Amino acid sequence: MSKGIKFPFPGLFKGMALTFKTMVKKAPVTMYPDVKEIPVPRARGVISLDAEACTVCMLCARECPDWCIYIEGHKVEKAPSKPGGRVRTESILDRFDIDYGLCMYCGICVDVCPFDALFWSPEYEYSEMKISNLLHNQERLGEWLKTVPEPPALES
Amino acid sequence: MTSRQLMHRSEVAVSVELETPGMTLNIGPQHPSTHGVLRLVAKISGERIHEIEPVIGYMHRGYEKLSEVRTYAQITALVNRIDWVAGFANEVPFILGVEKLVGVEAPERAQWIRLILTELARISSHLVFMCSFPLELGASTPLMHMLRDREHILELIEDVTGGRFHPNFNRVGGVKPAYGGGSKTKKQSMDLPAGFFKRTLKAMDLMDQTCEDIDTLVTGNELVRARTIGIGVIPAEKAIEYGMSGPNLRASGVAYDLRKVDNYLPYDQIDFDVVTRTGGDSFDRYLVRVGEIRESVKIIRQAVDIIPAGPLQAKVPRVLKVPEGQVYSRAENPKGEFGYYIVSEGGKMPYRLKIRSTSFSNLSILPWILVGQLIPDLVAIMGSLDFVLGDVDR
Repeated sequence: MSKGIKFPFPGLFKGMALTFKTMVKKAPVTMYPDVKEIPVPRARGVISLDAEACTVCMLCARECPDWCIYIEGHKVEKAPSKPGGRVRTESILDRFDIDYGLCMYCGICVDVCPFDALFWSPEYEYSEMKISNLLHNQERLGEWLKTVPEPPALES
Repeated sequence: MTSRQLMHRSEVAVSVELETPGMTLNIGPQHPSTHGVLRLVAKISGERIHEIEPVIGYMHRGYEKLSEVRTYAQITALVNRIDWVAGFANEVPFILGVEKLVGVEAPERAQWIRLILTELARISSHLVFMCSFPLELGASTPLMHMLRDREHILELIEDVTGGRFHPNFNRVGGVKPAYGGGSKTKKQSMDLPAGFFKRTLKAMDLMDQTCEDIDTLVTGNELVRARTIGIGVIPAEKAIEYGMSGPNLRASGVAYDLRKVDNYLPYDQIDFDVVTRTGGDSFDRYLVRVGEIRESVKIIRQAVDIIPAGPLQAKVPRVLKVPEGQVYSRAENPKGEFGYYIVSEGGKMPYRLKIRSTSFSNLSILPWILVGQLIPDLVAIMGSLDFVLGDVDR
């Protein structure tokens, strides 16, 4: 027994007393499938799309670090608002897919969207057995919009 | 053989039977005590190591190369993943470097938010060390306690940033703003959520309790003391020679802390001590980290009082073009000095990004420190150096 360690090991038993005390306490575990954890409002769970606000500017697809957003659109000519006015073009969104198999949940697309078409939702239960099903299309992304919470109050 | 001289006299008799000269033992890359994929090629005789060579690169993800084809905002998302137990602390030196190149400075409130979150990341990283280090010595109880208490810290980080491990919260010129928020916005300013200070102070009280738990469970434990006191002594000169930094260096008695030396965040307005020990052994490296948790708690308590109101974001053009130039910016990560060398040739992406990762430099002492040690001590010494393989290989 070197280093001044005495035989009855008082430190060891002190630690064991703490272990015992913790053992009789209630465990702080959320039993997941039965009890669900409520994520914080800012949690980055899944990205939802407001397709009506989207103008097919492609900023999100370009800024994505791993290019997991697929956008297709076409342009239509809009009749001038008053006779003799200029013919305007409008972009129509055909396809907006996010591949959650690739997404790294950085939130840059939500940040850069200048028309408020993308929002974070804290939902997290969308795991799939097949990786191809993680490609969420426009309708599926639109459904997430209902789960977007109001932003939390701020610390003054 | 030289090994004979390194052995204690009482062990010579035993190792004569066990002597297996020239035997090579491959430890890893899949080995629980290497916290990841580190491979060690050891030449051993009996249980004693003569020569050891770490083989790294099993987790090379090429972040330096990836950064050359990504904008600065995208790189912030990537650098979270270098040292994954302290994601927020990795962002800070990178963003500070880019800000230096662009020539903007974050508003005061943003700097204080950075400071608070960095310290929270430091506590969470050190709590992971408090899990893994006793676990490698064979004690699994501290793991349960520390992971339970770390959850309170991660909840705070998630509350503010939206991510537990990968906050991606810093932007050039401030912290995450309502970037480009339109008219009918549901997005708004990412200031601290209401009640954050109250919850933080509550969590800090819990951390005081945690530190006491650590002391009861680990510091006072005779078995831990027997396994670590006097094992793996790194003298101060050797630590400096091998470029070690952070708690590993301070355990050898060098009071070098970038928070004091390099005033990169408003640390000068806060009263805190640099924790140092003089022994330089595994136990001292552990004690320095326990002390640093206490210091971080102290820093956060003061910062919550001082933090001023104000804007979160300086004026920065939406398409950020960084002027030509180069800069090295560094910060005190939980594991030591973390630096980025950024070379910009103008434009939206860096020309070259060199990452000076802490664990890589701290790991470089392994071939020196492990020679002459026993294999069971190898695990204790490596655990006490606290490296993360994602940080080593990048």
